Amino acid sequence: MLLEIFSFSTLTANIDKSLHAWMAPWLAVVTELVIIGIVFLLFYAVLGLFLVYLERKVCAIIQNRIGPNRVGKWGLLQTVADFIKLITKELIPIRNADSFLFNLAPFIVIAASFMAMAAIPFAKGLHAIDLNIGIFYIIAVSSLGVVGILIAGWSSNSKYSLIGAMRSGAQIVSYELSVGLSLLAVVVFAGTMQLSAIVESQANGWWIFKGHIPALIAFIIYLIASTAEINRGPFDLAEAESELTAGFHTEYSGIKFAFFFLAEYINMFIVAAIAATMFFGGWMPFHIGHWDAFNRVMDYIPSVVWFFGKTFFIIYLIMWFKWTFPRLRIDQLLNLEWKYLLPLSLMNIVIIAFVVLMGWYFH
Amino acid sequence: MREKATTLYIGPQHPGITGNMMVRVKVEGDTIVKATTEVGYLHRSFEKLIEKRNWLQSFTLLCRFCVPEPDPVEESYARAVELLEGREVPERAKYIRVLVLELARIASYLLWYGGQSASLGLYTIGQWSVGDRNYILDLFEELTGGRVYHMYIWPGGVRRDLPKGFENKVLKTMDYLEKRLDDYDDLMFDNTIFRKRTQGVGIIDKEKAVEWGVVGPPLRGCGIRSDIRIDDPYEVYNKLDFVVPVEEGGDIWARALVRRQEIRQSIRIIRQVLDNIPAGKYYNKIPNPQKWALPKGDAYTRTEAVRGEVGMYVVSDGGTHPRRAHFRGAAYVHAITLLENLLVGENISDIAAIMNSLGTCPPEIER
Repeated sequence: MLLEIFSFSTLTANIDKSLHAWMAPWLAVVTELVIIGIVFLLFYAVLGLFLVYLERKVCAIIQNRIGPNRVGKWGLLQTVADFIKLITKELIPIRNADSFLFNLAPFIVIAASFMAMAAIPFAKGLHAIDLNIGIFYIIAVSSLGVVGILIAGWSSNSKYSLIGAMRSGAQIVSYELSVGLSLLAVVVFAGTMQLSAIVESQANGWWIFKGHIPALIAFIIYLIASTAEINRGPFDLAEAESELTAGFHTEYSGIKFAFFFLAEYINMFIVAAIAATMFFGGWMPFHIGHWDAFNRVMDYIPSVVWFFGKTFFIIYLIMWFKWTFPRLRIDQLLNLEWKYLLPLSLMNIVIIAFVVLMGWYFH
Repeated sequence: MREKATTLYIGPQHPGITGNMMVRVKVEGDTIVKATTEVGYLHRSFEKLIEKRNWLQSFTLLCRFCVPEPDPVEESYARAVELLEGREVPERAKYIRVLVLELARIASYLLWYGGQSASLGLYTIGQWSVGDRNYILDLFEELTGGRVYHMYIWPGGVRRDLPKGFENKVLKTMDYLEKRLDDYDDLMFDNTIFRKRTQGVGIIDKEKAVEWGVVGPPLRGCGIRSDIRIDDPYEVYNKLDFVVPVEEGGDIWARALVRRQEIRQSIRIIRQVLDNIPAGKYYNKIPNPQKWALPKGDAYTRTEAVRGEVGMYVVSDGGTHPRRAHFRGAAYVHAITLLENLLVGENISDIAAIMNSLGTCPPEIER
């Protein structure tokens, strides 16, 4: 088990206790909500900017380039500068656009990714809410983003935006199925939808190892389907630069564009965080059977490091896809989902149910 | 249910295509029912300007016909002028010309690698190949003084002799490139998505290809062996040993495979040129260009460029300026007639890929 000094439960409990000590209970709850909101907003901004920076660096390494290296140390402040530029930019009003929906769309997109973030366990005892249907909630909430994308495409009064949005709608709705089914695999293994319980169930081995072949299949399907769900290359048809200018956010500028842009990267983080939590044990350290000394050393690494390490490993995988695969065409994209991934994941669920019933996985 | 057709404007900027040109497509859903090309963004009236210049001054214009590969146009014009005057070219100059032409072909193909893959959403290979193209541009800089526009092939030979140790540098670059081509294959041709995106897309009918006047790699991608370097050899191509690759299918994939093999053949040609290059003069000096009058007559030359056959027709009325110069580039046929025909029935996602595979070069269309 992890060392107690790295546990966030004591920290959060202490804050809770001290707030309750000199405040009315309702005021304490409100204060806690405000604190959580501020922390998440800050985290959201920093994470978004860092992921954009990371993408540019990873892409540069793959493409034999250096990448941003002028603003700040190693170019770290480049994305901050870009963001300042974006928020100070003029918001161009679009003629004949439905201005209410046009302005609403970026908020729906960003709110969806913001809500999904709430249920993710970042470390031992560090999550905003620990819902008993955590994973179900995340899937449900993150698919709200497509509504924003469709609204953005429709209200922009631009053919290119509309084509991008329609492609995106078709894509997200189809791949949602495979994402759900592959995550269901782990739910069947763990026997719960509560994310903290799923993480606890991996204390003696991550599901990708314990569940061997079926879990591996589920993970690969999840990786493909979730890459498609967040509209990233090779599935970035919604904003295919070489075909549709920028897809559904063609007409957006300034801060509204920044919302779409940030939401895209945060969605990537969420998708990777779910993969890390469900398949790679979340914040659980890596243990090997009875190698007690090794396990002990692993325990000394804080749970936050474990969680972010795994998450960024998967983010790296997703970035790697983008820069080494060409884009699929819309018909090929839907073929892949409906003809291959969906039947495969359905079959996989049946196999997993059988495996779990027979107890053919490592306990 | 019949969908209502809408009009989309694709371009005038396209990935991997130098110059501007728009395609106006009528689409039903995602499928193109009618395509119309809109050119005219780059008209600089090259042919008229050539008439206002003496026989030597035009070279600064000629290299701007098609930015990625300027040398075949210079070559065509230089040969046409030599034909008119009956001027001999030293053997060494002929070899150097072939060397420059093939280097330019490789440089242009490296740019095509980037365009073709970027049009399909694979941006990495373009960064690699354009980076490697720089090594060839370095060679050009050392040889001609210019990286992109060379103005190197002149009537009577070439402008400068090879610098000292240049052969070794070329060989080294070729060795390096050969290794890199394997990397490109790994990323591009071994990629299932790339194959799926290109096979069966933009098919040129074998019978229609000849009728439409398709030339170059698109024609060879239809299974027809046609190459001016073999059919009507110029300079020293008849002394060199190389193969003209042909692929069946007529789709983007076949055209890409043709280009992939051609780049290796070009390396082979360059190696042979460097082995056999004779010593001697590189330039038969022309008289003072201000007073240099060519005998009355006309001449037509053809050259195999990356995009296909380019032809130059020059008429002289016995004066110091051309009476008329007419240029026929492959892009004119490919990017207007052929493109408009090929796009019908295709998906809008494939427009850029088809344009790239046809070797579209807008400045060449609007000479």
